[in-house]
Amino acid sequence: MRTGHFKESTGQLIALTDNPTTKAWVAALVVALLAAPLLLGAYELGLLVTVLIAVVGGVGLNLLTGTTGLISLGQAGFLAVGAYGNAVLMVDYGWPVWLSLPAGGVISALISLLVGIPSLRLKGLYLAITTLAFSFIVSHIILYAEPITRGPNGIFVSGAEIFGFNVQKGPPLYFLTLFVSVAVVLLALNLQRSRLGRAWLAIRDHDIAARAMGIDLTRYKLLAFMISSFIVGLAGGLISLQIRFINIDVFGLILSIEALAIIILGGLGSIAGAILGAIFLTLLPEVIRIAFNLVLEPGSSFYSTYVYEIRGVVYGFVIVAFLRFKPDGLIGLWRDSKKFWSNWPLAY
Amino acid sequence: MKRIAIVAIAALATGPAFAADPGVTDTEIRIGDVNIMTGAASFIGRAVSVGSKIAAAEINDAGGVNGRMIKIITEDDGYVPSRSFQALSKLIEVDEIFALNGTSGTANVLAMMPLIEENNLPTIVSTAPNELVYDPVRPSVFTLGASYSDAFYAQLKYINDNVDIENPVYGLIRQDDDFGVAVEHGYNRAVEEFGVEDAARIRFKKGTSNFSAEVAQLDRAGVNVLANGGIISGAANILSEARKLGMDIQSAQVWSEDMPPSVNLAAQAGYDYYVADYVALTGEANDAFLETAREYVSEDEIEAINRYTYVTYAALHAMAEAMSRCGEELTRDCTIENLRQLEDFPVGGIMAPISFNNENQLSGTAVSVYQLDADTQTFTRLTEFVDY
Repeated sequence: MRTGHFKESTGQLIALTDNPTTKAWVAALVVALLAAPLLLGAYELGLLVTVLIAVVGGVGLNLLTGTTGLISLGQAGFLAVGAYGNAVLMVDYGWPVWLSLPAGGVISALISLLVGIPSLRLKGLYLAITTLAFSFIVSHIILYAEPITRGPNGIFVSGAEIFGFNVQKGPPLYFLTLFVSVAVVLLALNLQRSRLGRAWLAIRDHDIAARAMGIDLTRYKLLAFMISSFIVGLAGGLISLQIRFINIDVFGLILSIEALAIIILGGLGSIAGAILGAIFLTLLPEVIRIAFNLVLEPGSSFYSTYVYEIRGVVYGFVIVAFLRFKPDGLIGLWRDSKKFWSNWPLAY
Repeated sequence: MKRIAIVAIAALATGPAFAADPGVTDTEIRIGDVNIMTGAASFIGRAVSVGSKIAAAEINDAGGVNGRMIKIITEDDGYVPSRSFQALSKLIEVDEIFALNGTSGTANVLAMMPLIEENNLPTIVSTAPNELVYDPVRPSVFTLGASYSDAFYAQLKYINDNVDIENPVYGLIRQDDDFGVAVEHGYNRAVEEFGVEDAARIRFKKGTSNFSAEVAQLDRAGVNVLANGGIISGAANILSEARKLGMDIQSAQVWSEDMPPSVNLAAQAGYDYYVADYVALTGEANDAFLETAREYVSEDEIEAINRYTYVTYAALHAMAEAMSRCGEELTRDCTIENLRQLEDFPVGGIMAPISFNNENQLSGTAVSVYQLDADTQTFTRLTEFVDY
């Protein structure tokens, strides 16, 4: 049993982990992720891509809501801006995807200033409603800016290549998404431990106290909006690559709700929680579908009449039950199980 | 030995190159269906699913497609395009479907289009006959249904030609999406051709439920012939507002307003509104269809039947006909080619005969105009199927 944990150099202090077991698990995870295209079928790989995109979006929102305490219901809007930014630059202006994808994120970050600046004095539900309104504004602009966005008709996104590989399907899309999600997770982990991250945490815990300590609220809140929106914009760009068609219906309000659900179910403020939440929420419908198919005959009258709705109810019920019994989210469950293991056989 | 080798090579060179496509075995053909099985619009998905089920049961009862039984595999997309994409991925990769019959809404089918094209999947789009689906034409995609534009034009033309209105004043209220654009297109054609007064054009955001301001504008403009581009509860709320204001209007509606749940809502306003549809709503064909349906599906499923059931039923019969013409060696290429050659294929009178042998691979464009009797909640057929 460990009795203490001491850090004796700057190198140890800035390392993401100094635990050999953690390093071994991370290495195993990296190997598994790299080998996934060899081990999984096309559909499962597609699901994994969806999970990774949800991870990118979840980590982005977590920086804003979990770390800085600014609630946003405008994620669908930022996703849409990133997706349209990538699609328009790639399809209409011929930009290569390695440039259009981050550019979509940058556009999303710049547009976030439009919400961020008027929202500086707002927090809690007031901010949530403001960001929700932003989402509506984005959908209106997309519908009416037909010369750029093709309005309600949407855009088919094709021709995304990196090193000659079509990064819109199969292993190339998977590796691109994996690269982006790993980069985003590392960025978020490092940001949280930086001066910036500590300022965000201070703002979240008590913004007046944070200001009294000399933290420039305007600057740090706007940075939180911009960095979060950049990451969410990247997720939107990846969605446009995966689905290969975008219109305003792709970015419904439900996406904003799901993004919040990801970080709350995972555990607010935790990067690992956002990752777990993304995995949980993306795969839960699949798990429920498989479970129902094991018990019931899909072609039956009962199935076609009732089961689809029942599945939806079960999905909601699992989430409600989870929050009731594990309010700290999946990361709380993970910590409890670690504690149980470390303290065994004295765990209770 | 040499002779055998020559014969074998000749046979390989000249014989038909039959390579089994996914979804076909000696005994079964798997057909996919991506649909709205959950959420507010689930009554559409359920109706579609029942249509496929009845057609498949009927075909299988008659011996299947050259001895192969049709199996329908349905996936729910909840009307969310990204989920449609995921659902079709599952149907292609896990269930290995041969063809697709049931494609949800317009944005949903467009989200699935790259997968459909990539897999050369024979597909009949029967619930989203939008121009975006068939123009540009995709080789494996066939569309069944009239355009919203034609449907509105047909109704307005009927009103113009047959209803005696003193000083007709036309008005339009429509959604701000691709569907709304199509409605306005039909309205434009009508007002230009008839030379009538075009007093108001109002756009509203999809999902709007309160139309008091919009209908007040229509009332102020004196509109008495309305192209009502609301859908289901939206259309009903527009009529309800018009009734509150005491407007005397002839209202043309989209075909979703002939489904029982929509009629229940919209008829309460008391307007005997019009719809134009490419499926038959009343008559012997419908009675015969219901009789067939009772043989194959449960009472719960019979309750779910509406216009989308008929069109999906017809689409699966057309698909089965194309597959049967391939004989034993069933491939996607062959099915697509046979669909492309389909001409005047009869579907029991529930819609006009199906012909895909045109440049858009589009059929069912002829519509009939119907009028609701709000008291009895029944429709009367006013015209035969006509192409506009």
